[in-house]
Amino acid sequence: MTFLLLLLPPVLAAFFAFIIRPYRRWVGWLSAVLGLISLGAALNFAGQAIALGLPVAGSVLTAATFGVLVDSLGLVDVLRADSLSALLMVCVAGVSAITLLLSPGLWREDHYTPAQLRRFQIFFNLFVGSMLLAVSANNVGLMWIAVEATTIFSAFIIPLTVSKHSVEASWKYILICSVGIALAFTGTVLAYFDFVTLAGRVENALNWTVLLETAPALHPEVMRIAFVFLLVGYGTKAGLAPMHTWLPDAHSESPAPLSAAMSGVLLAVALYAILRWKIVVDASLGASYTNNLFLGLGMISLLVATFSMVLSKNYKRLLAYSSIENTGLTCLGLGLGPLGVFAALLHLVNHSVAKSMLFLLSGRILHRYHTTEISKVSGLLKAMPLTGSLFAVGILAIIGLPPFGIFISEFALIRAGFDTGRPWLMGLVLALLAVAFVVLLKVLNQMLYGQPADGVSIGEADGWHIGLLFLSVAGLVVLGLTLPAPLMTLLTQCVAIVSQ
Amino acid sequence: MNDAVFSQLTTLGSSVVLIFGILLLWRRSVSAYISSFRWQSTVLAVVLAVIGYFGHDPELYLVAGFSFVLKAVVLPHYLERMRSRLDVTREVEPYVNYAASLLMAGVLVLLAYVVTRPLILVSTLPTRSGIPLAMGLIFVGFFVILSRKKALTQIVGFLVLENGIVLLAALGTYGIPLIVEIGVFLDVLMGFLVMQVLVYHIHGTFESIDVDQLNQLKH
Repeated sequence: MTFLLLLLPPVLAAFFAFIIRPYRRWVGWLSAVLGLISLGAALNFAGQAIALGLPVAGSVLTAATFGVLVDSLGLVDVLRADSLSALLMVCVAGVSAITLLLSPGLWREDHYTPAQLRRFQIFFNLFVGSMLLAVSANNVGLMWIAVEATTIFSAFIIPLTVSKHSVEASWKYILICSVGIALAFTGTVLAYFDFVTLAGRVENALNWTVLLETAPALHPEVMRIAFVFLLVGYGTKAGLAPMHTWLPDAHSESPAPLSAAMSGVLLAVALYAILRWKIVVDASLGASYTNNLFLGLGMISLLVATFSMVLSKNYKRLLAYSSIENTGLTCLGLGLGPLGVFAALLHLVNHSVAKSMLFLLSGRILHRYHTTEISKVSGLLKAMPLTGSLFAVGILAIIGLPPFGIFISEFALIRAGFDTGRPWLMGLVLALLAVAFVVLLKVLNQMLYGQPADGVSIGEADGWHIGLLFLSVAGLVVLGLTLPAPLMTLLTQCVAIVSQ
Repeated sequence: MNDAVFSQLTTLGSSVVLIFGILLLWRRSVSAYISSFRWQSTVLAVVLAVIGYFGHDPELYLVAGFSFVLKAVVLPHYLERMRSRLDVTREVEPYVNYAASLLMAGVLVLLAYVVTRPLILVSTLPTRSGIPLAMGLIFVGFFVILSRKKALTQIVGFLVLENGIVLLAALGTYGIPLIVEIGVFLDVLMGFLVMQVLVYHIHGTFESIDVDQLNQLKH
């Protein structure tokens, strides 16, 4: 039942946006309300996981009504929610809800045509729906389908306004991600191949729970190959270097709400898919194989992203590179044992909140200044006092200053590194973080102060709804000052799932 | 006896499927690519049906049917329409020239044998000798995407790669569960539609579909 409440609202919202033509403002509001319902369901899952600690399994189609369909399609236990899925559900539904509330078409400052708004509402909701499906799927095949669907739906709205830049970005995005995700499917097939070789063709063999039970008996040499395919495949989607080349283009050319959802949670969903497979492969191979791969990819991403940030002249691209950097950090943490996993998941939550906020704000800045070049944006505090100060807070949070959550998660991550005996690696990480720190502060300094260029209007105008983002700020501060007990429990349960 | 026939048939079928993939690297006109893809998908559907028959899995007939309709009829039709509307005739100067491409294809197939060696060792299925060929096709599709400049050719490369995966799944496991298979077909179809829309956009904004001009986004 709760699965229906989680997954149905985005589909309904997309449906309404589809049938109501031309776009009406209430459709946008309806999407936002439906988004809040999804969030409620996600929180309910988290609550159940915290209270009972038990995974919830279920098919959306109940056996009583659709018995034949369920049997013939093998849909038994196709969905499942444990603490790890619940954590991701809350992130996805939370970021989507706030994005939908601030998306174009709800407030007065519209710069899109009704046709564009309608298209945005349809595909954005489908995009959110597929992310939620990806994190609640028990069947790894279904999880793959959902992740691939996120690529397709988002590719429809990257070129919301057709220009050379947006078309180039979306072509690279769809091509590179489709190929990447096809490799992930190859990996899935290889793992399934090993399962079938061992246990024959069993019902629900693609269910994660079934795979995990069989994992200790699977052939390590096959699982090794399968995991490389899975890591490269889903890693492309997660923006891990060197498969990240599409990311800065797509994230910087998308409409701001889509960038917010893509940077904030889509990368996390892709990492989640890798993490699910890591658990299975670890049960077969022991953790050190996957850990080393995670450390390697994480480190490369961190390096590449930091140096790209130094060279970047465009603030949206800068934020996109910072997403690669943070995904790299998360990946690194996942390879550092239990404390590392804890830190990485906390970092993932923090990054979702901070980066979605920054991208939403960057959309407003772009709309006012008509440029994404850092050197042409100045006097932000004068031109848009509220947006400017929120942007400053977001940047201070993302570079890891206290009292914001990222400080805590980065600190824990570094400690995990030292605990597992990797002081040199952690020294390098700290140095790279320091470089990113300086770059972002310098950019912030350039953008906030000075005089706005001629022709840039002064004053926040009718954009006070952006104050909703104080919720994000509050979240970041709470995560930085105390780690709330329910979240602590949830994260501890996640760590137990990952390192079982 | 039956197993021997089965094994030979699938290996033969897989080789033909792979050869149609390698043809992409050798031919130059875009319509030749489309017809290679059409024939490849047809042979693939036959291989799926053969596996269904000898492996006693009626689900695979369904998959073969779907696969035939989608990949041998519908998609080639749309590809052909795109080609004639956009008036693309041939792949000019790919990033890697034809002779080197063919050589590369050979290397990739060898690599596929190396990568899939553990799989062949653990498998007892009569179809296992086709597995490296399927993996080779995946690599060749990947290489087509990397080395060719026309957006349309890249789409064909992607579809060929997808065929490789279907073949791999069928040879190694007699087919993944039907529900997943259907989802994969839907994803391929939807993905193809987005790519088609984007190719028209590329044509509209850049006035050609050579992807080497997609280089405006930097730093």
